[in-house]
Amino acid sequence: MILPVKNSPKERDSALLLAISAGDRRALEELYLSYHRRLARFLSRFTPRYENVEEIINDTFMVVWQSAKDFRNASQVSTWIIGIAYRTALKSFRRQKNHTGARSLEDYPEQTVDPTFDEEVSDWLKHGLSRLPMEQRLTLELAYQMGHSLEEIAAITDCPVGTVKARMFHAREKLRQYLPTLGGAPSDLSARIG
Amino acid sequence: MTHNSRIENSAEHHEVSALLPWYVNETLQERDRQRVDAHVGVCAGCRADLAAQLRICEAIAAQPAIDYMPVASLKRLMARLDAQAESAGTPPPPQEQATNRLAWRGWMAASIAAVAVAVALLVGNHWAQLDARQNQPNYRTVTSSAPRPQGEVIRAVFSPSITLVELQTILDEAQLRIISGPTEAGVYSLASNSTLTVRASLALLRQHSTVRFAERTSPEPEAGASP
Repeated sequence: MILPVKNSPKERDSALLLAISAGDRRALEELYLSYHRRLARFLSRFTPRYENVEEIINDTFMVVWQSAKDFRNASQVSTWIIGIAYRTALKSFRRQKNHTGARSLEDYPEQTVDPTFDEEVSDWLKHGLSRLPMEQRLTLELAYQMGHSLEEIAAITDCPVGTVKARMFHAREKLRQYLPTLGGAPSDLSARIG
Repeated sequence: MTHNSRIENSAEHHEVSALLPWYVNETLQERDRQRVDAHVGVCAGCRADLAAQLRICEAIAAQPAIDYMPVASLKRLMARLDAQAESAGTPPPPQEQATNRLAWRGWMAASIAAVAVAVALLVGNHWAQLDARQNQPNYRTVTSSAPRPQGEVIRAVFSPSITLVELQTILDEAQLRIISGPTEAGVYSLASNSTLTVRASLALLRQHSTVRFAERTSPEPEAGASP
C-alpha cells in the first residue's frame, strides 16, 4: 500500500493507521517507532523495570493492530493510542499492586516532609506521586508530564471532564497533605466537583 | 466575612481552581485562560495554589526519564504477531518473513543513509529557503487557497464517525486514493486510481451519506473531452 503524503503528525498518524487497517506491517513499525519514546518515558515513571514498560507498549500496539479498522475519526489517533496505553497500563499496575501490596497515600497520614531545596522537592514529589491512587497519578502525569488538555485526558481515560477534574483535585489535595509547604491553600472543592 | 473569604467561597473560585492544572500546562482555551487570569488577580488562595502547581509541574518535567532503544522491543512485537498469525492458521506472507529476517540490518543502513541525505538536503535547502522567504510575505490571507497536492482531483470531507474500513471501501468503489489529509478541517485530498472519470468518481462519492462534502479540484474538461 502506498502511503499518502504526510503533511503533519496528525495526517501521518491517520495515514499510517489506514495502512495498518489494511494489514500493512511496515506502517505498524513506523507508528510504533514514532510513539515508543513518548510512551516509554511516560510509563517508566510508574515502573522501574523496562520489561514492564515494553510489555505495556507491545500490548498497546497489539490492540492497535487488531482494532485499527474500527478506529473512528471522531478522535485523534494520538489520543486513541494513548488511551489504549492508559487502560493497558492501569491493568498492569493493578496486577503489580496486588503482587507487591503497594500502598496509597492514605496509608501514610502522618508522613509529611518540609523540603527546602529543589532536590528535596524532587525527592518528595517522587515519593508523593508513588503513593497516589493510580487513576489520580495518571491524570496528574498526563497533564504535567505529557501536557494533555482537560478534554484530551477525558478522551484518553474515557471519563467525563468532571471526573478528570475530580481526580486532579484529589491528587492535588493529597500532595498538599503530604507536603503542606508546597501544596498551596487548602480548598473545599471536593464538595463541588467530587 | 472578609473580602478574601467571600472570593474563596464563590462558585467562580471553585471552577477556576479546578482549571489551574491546565492553566499551568498551557492547554486552556483562550476564554478559560482569561477567566483564570482575572480570578487569580483577586484571589490570594488561587495565587498560592497556582505557584504550587507550577512548582509541581516543573519538578515533574525536570525529573530524568530513561530513553530506551525501541528496535528490540519492536522485534518482539513482530514475533508476537507472527505467532498469532500462525496460531490462527494464516502465516505471514513470504515477503514479510524475508523482510523480518533481513529488515533490520537493511533498515538501519537505510536509516543512516537517509539521515545523511536529509541533513545534506536540509543544509542546502536552508539557505535557499532563507533567500526565498525574504521575498515572500510571512502571512497567508484567509482567501488565499492552499497549495494543491500533485495529482489531486477531488477534495472531500467525511463524517467524523466513519471507520477506516468504511472510508477505504468508499474510496475503492470510487477508485480514488488519499494523497494527503485529513487537514485540521478534516479535508482529504484524493487522486484518481484508475481511468474512471473524475465526474464518475465524484458521483460515486456523493451517493454515500458519510461523505459530507466532495468537489473536484482539477479543471473541468472541455465538452467532448474524455474525463
